[in-house]
Amino acid sequence: VSVTRRQIVVAALATGVVGAGPAHAEAGEVDQLGRLLAFEQRLEAAYRAALSGDAIDPALGRSLLAQEREHVRGVGLALEAVGRRGPDASPPPPAPQAALSTRRLFARFALELESEAVAAYVRALATLDAPDLLQPLGSIMASGAQHQVALRQLLDEPLLAPKP
Amino acid sequence: VPRVPVSLTRRGALGGLAAVALASCGDGDPAPGSRPQAGSGAGSLNSIVALEHATVAAWAAIAGALRGNARVQAEAIRRRELDHVERVSALVRDLGGTPPGGRPRREYAPQFPKLDNETAALRFAGDLEERLVRAYLDALRSLPDSEQRRAAAEIAAEEAEDLAVVAVLAGEPASQRAFVTGTS
Repeated sequence: VSVTRRQIVVAALATGVVGAGPAHAEAGEVDQLGRLLAFEQRLEAAYRAALSGDAIDPALGRSLLAQEREHVRGVGLALEAVGRRGPDASPPPPAPQAALSTRRLFARFALELESEAVAAYVRALATLDAPDLLQPLGSIMASGAQHQVALRQLLDEPLLAPKP
Repeated sequence: VPRVPVSLTRRGALGGLAAVALASCGDGDPAPGSRPQAGSGAGSLNSIVALEHATVAAWAAIAGALRGNARVQAEAIRRRELDHVERVSALVRDLGGTPPGGRPRREYAPQFPKLDNETAALRFAGDLEERLVRAYLDALRSLPDSEQRRAAAEIAAEEAEDLAVVAVLAGEPASQRAFVTGTS
């Protein structure tokens, strides 16, 4: 099951903000979507760098990278749908070199980044005034939560995070 | 004498669970005597509380069919579902409502498929968690308050984690899809 470009565009159209154009998109909403996109771009870059540097199991790395690319595309489409630009052409901050020095260090770095991304999705889902984008964005958040389980498995940690 | 089916299909079992859950909360409306107004989110929240009660019972049955680490994980997930019951029930009470209570485990049990081996138990667990992910993501649209939506989003993420754990226990990758929509 995947969320297609059409689904996201249709969802955004249903909110009514697309037809209204960029001037009618709330700045706060655009900022929130922009933050989500930045997280996804950082994650995509991190998995790409880890694969290049043998800092992650290749099969898992390829799978997570492919999913992050889909997330970048999905959030980018959501931004376009609310009348703003798509994925930023500027490169995201690279993963710290130290995080790429061993597979364990990279898994720890990626787990923290995934956790921050999920928290950002929760904040966005709580406040975004775009009802038809909530389910598609929620489905990306849920994928991010599953990435955390995959990374905890790599780290040989309990699969479910302890309650804070 | 009518014969009771030996086992239910997994989809049939989930449909049965949903029926039991809905019966617990009066077809999704706030419980009689509760005060929440239409559009407050109480109806959606009550439906979720009822589904979570059924889920807690289901996870007890699933844990009973598993052994070793898989059982430990199942018991951990069951405790998380209990936390979800409490958290969503509290949201209903915040609205002045009365959340539905759980039913005796024996009332849920006939709705479960036959869990006579680990494979069957994990398949049922996966279906159950897919349904929960879907329920929480769908609820986001109907919840008017940001704290309600925050809770639904946080719990949806936890249900997605649970689904990933079930996949790992079944020997599959934790994360298999870029978009985890859940199934109804």
